[in-house]
Amino acid sequence: MGFDLHFALSTIPTIIGAIGATLLATILSCLGASALGFTFEMIRRGGGAPGLAVRFLIDFIRSTPVLAWLYFLYFVLPFYGIRLGAMTVGILGLSLYYSGYLAEVFKAGIDAIPKGQQEAARSLSLTRRDTIVFVIAPQMLRNIAAPLGNYFVSILKATPYLAVLAVPEMLGRAFDIASETYRYAEPLTVAGILFLALALIVAYGVKRIEQRLLAAGRR
Amino acid sequence: MLAQAPHPASETLPLVRIVGLNKWFGALQVLKDIELTVRAGSRIVVCGPSGSGKSTLIRCINGLEHFQKGTIQLEGTALGRNPRDTATARRQTGMVFQSFNLFPHLTVLANCTLALRRVLLKPASEAEEIAMHHLTTVRIPEKAHAYPAQLSGGQQQRVAIARALCLNPRIMLFDEPTSALDPEMIKEVLDVMVALAGSGVTMVCVTHEMGFAREVADQIVFMDEGRIVVHASSRDFFSRAAHPRAQLFLDTILSH
Amino acid sequence: MSMFEIWLGILQGLGITAQVTAYALVFAVPFALVLGVAQFLATGLTRFLVTAVIEFWRSSAVVVLLFVFYYVLPVMGITLSALTVSALVLGLNIGGYASQAVRAGLQSLPAGQREAGMALGLSRPAILLLIELPQALITMSPTFVNNLIQLVKATSLVSLVTLTDMTFRAKEIAQTDYDPVAIYSALLLAFFVVCYPIALAGRWLEARVHPEKGTARGI
Repeated sequence: MGFDLHFALSTIPTIIGAIGATLLATILSCLGASALGFTFEMIRRGGGAPGLAVRFLIDFIRSTPVLAWLYFLYFVLPFYGIRLGAMTVGILGLSLYYSGYLAEVFKAGIDAIPKGQQEAARSLSLTRRDTIVFVIAPQMLRNIAAPLGNYFVSILKATPYLAVLAVPEMLGRAFDIASETYRYAEPLTVAGILFLALALIVAYGVKRIEQRLLAAGRR
Repeated sequence: MLAQAPHPASETLPLVRIVGLNKWFGALQVLKDIELTVRAGSRIVVCGPSGSGKSTLIRCINGLEHFQKGTIQLEGTALGRNPRDTATARRQTGMVFQSFNLFPHLTVLANCTLALRRVLLKPASEAEEIAMHHLTTVRIPEKAHAYPAQLSGGQQQRVAIARALCLNPRIMLFDEPTSALDPEMIKEVLDVMVALAGSGVTMVCVTHEMGFAREVADQIVFMDEGRIVVHASSRDFFSRAAHPRAQLFLDTILSH
Repeated sequence: MSMFEIWLGILQGLGITAQVTAYALVFAVPFALVLGVAQFLATGLTRFLVTAVIEFWRSSAVVVLLFVFYYVLPVMGITLSALTVSALVLGLNIGGYASQAVRAGLQSLPAGQREAGMALGLSRPAILLLIELPQALITMSPTFVNNLIQLVKATSLVSLVTLTDMTFRAKEIAQTDYDPVAIYSALLLAFFVVCYPIALAGRWLEARVHPEKGTARGI
């Protein structure tokens, strides 16, 4: 039983048809991970017991695999009566896992802002919230455009993990075809090529946006 | 005049009253038993060798530094007692930093309007009007839509002065405003400060510019090792420096 | 089973986890060194080809890559054990990341280093081996430690191709015991116990190699 190119080509439309789920999972996980990561970093900077707890949580997340987190949420949430769809659990899992990394990115971006910026904001009587929103966050975003973009691409490449929760994204769809036809090589190869192409395209797009941001910052 | 309505001069209450102020950085005591009263209309220059605590003192008045002992009152409201009072007290002050600390991602105009809009909750049009007024005061209205990185150091510092003026503070604090500037830019900043003094703005200024002190200040505070060693009228200070260490300091400064 | 018994049950898979990691390093280390150096030295078409190989391994989603090789190689008439396929895919994927650190480390060296070597009459290979690589590898050592942690975590994937690593053990235990909270907490904890010490070692290394990067605090 060799590699059937004809069959492989015939699976392309079905697998590409799942690109919506892949992109949805990617975008929502990027947003979730950014929001959670930024919140974690703000709590960590706040210090005290919550800061210490979050510091440990971030270290813990970074020392554990994303697959284990996906299983954890998928099986533990229902145990406590929380029933969510596989897609939702997957997005939660990716958001939580990558928040640990993005918190570090945000930290580096904030540490690179001169201390005088916060002092100036304080001397102008801005509240802590306004200081974060209007002074720190915009400068931080410019500092972290590159690593943030790289992590967004990483999140895209982690979405096929959701196939283990039977989320119908591209890898999941490839496995559906495989189990119907008992042919694995062709649909998986197609999925592999599509993910590589998608990752390269998104990486290129992210780089372009990044250059625009940096050019705008150099005014 | 716009947003510069004269405050009713309070005869009884000084703008700033500092009593028994002591501050430590760890084991190092940086301010020792500071007593200082600033009345409306005063123009005080604080000078002294580096490490004498003058910057720390002015940063305490702006609430940027905590202190361990003593009180600082701005128009009767104590700094550092609780966050609400500290916020109220800080509103009375405008601060100009040695390193300008303009927000690099905002235009000159947006630097000036940010606090007007977020702190004083002014509508955009009014905030811009106030900001343009103060940018005109510091003679740089044409740069309103430029970004800080496009300006020279002297221009940036003038914008920083306008930004602080926008909140209409009762007292302006300057922390070595010309120390980070190239020599050819010092004058444009000092000229603006002289003009401000002329218009009756109360100011406390940490600076080594003794020419400015002689021209503008009505009182000189000389600090050394965390203490106020001399607090005299400008005329007394320059005619017969009241203290040998101040005399020594003046000699080194003026011999430059 | 008590939480502790579950944990011990999961640790029975530690051997496979360690084995996959070690075996993957056999692929990763030479790949990173050879291709990183090649990308640094090569020009023109060679450089393009080297970059293409690196990009294939690091821009593909590792989950998909593992399945593709697991199912496609047999079709091509190549039969490798699940362990070998896993080590190959995980190793070359992480090797692709590490190759970028090797190249960046070499590029960050001041040109004076190479010129000094040439002035001493050293050949180009000698300069590379004796002067440039040692410095680049030391500067980049904290990044390599991070790559190692990523590799250990990625080994959780081999549970999906029938290898009885820690993640596989957790799922096995879950089939006989309905106690998802204990089982998946124990799985996370098991990885934490392995990866956190490596992370701490990485931080120690970072402080030794880049002492100038202090941690500022503010907001």
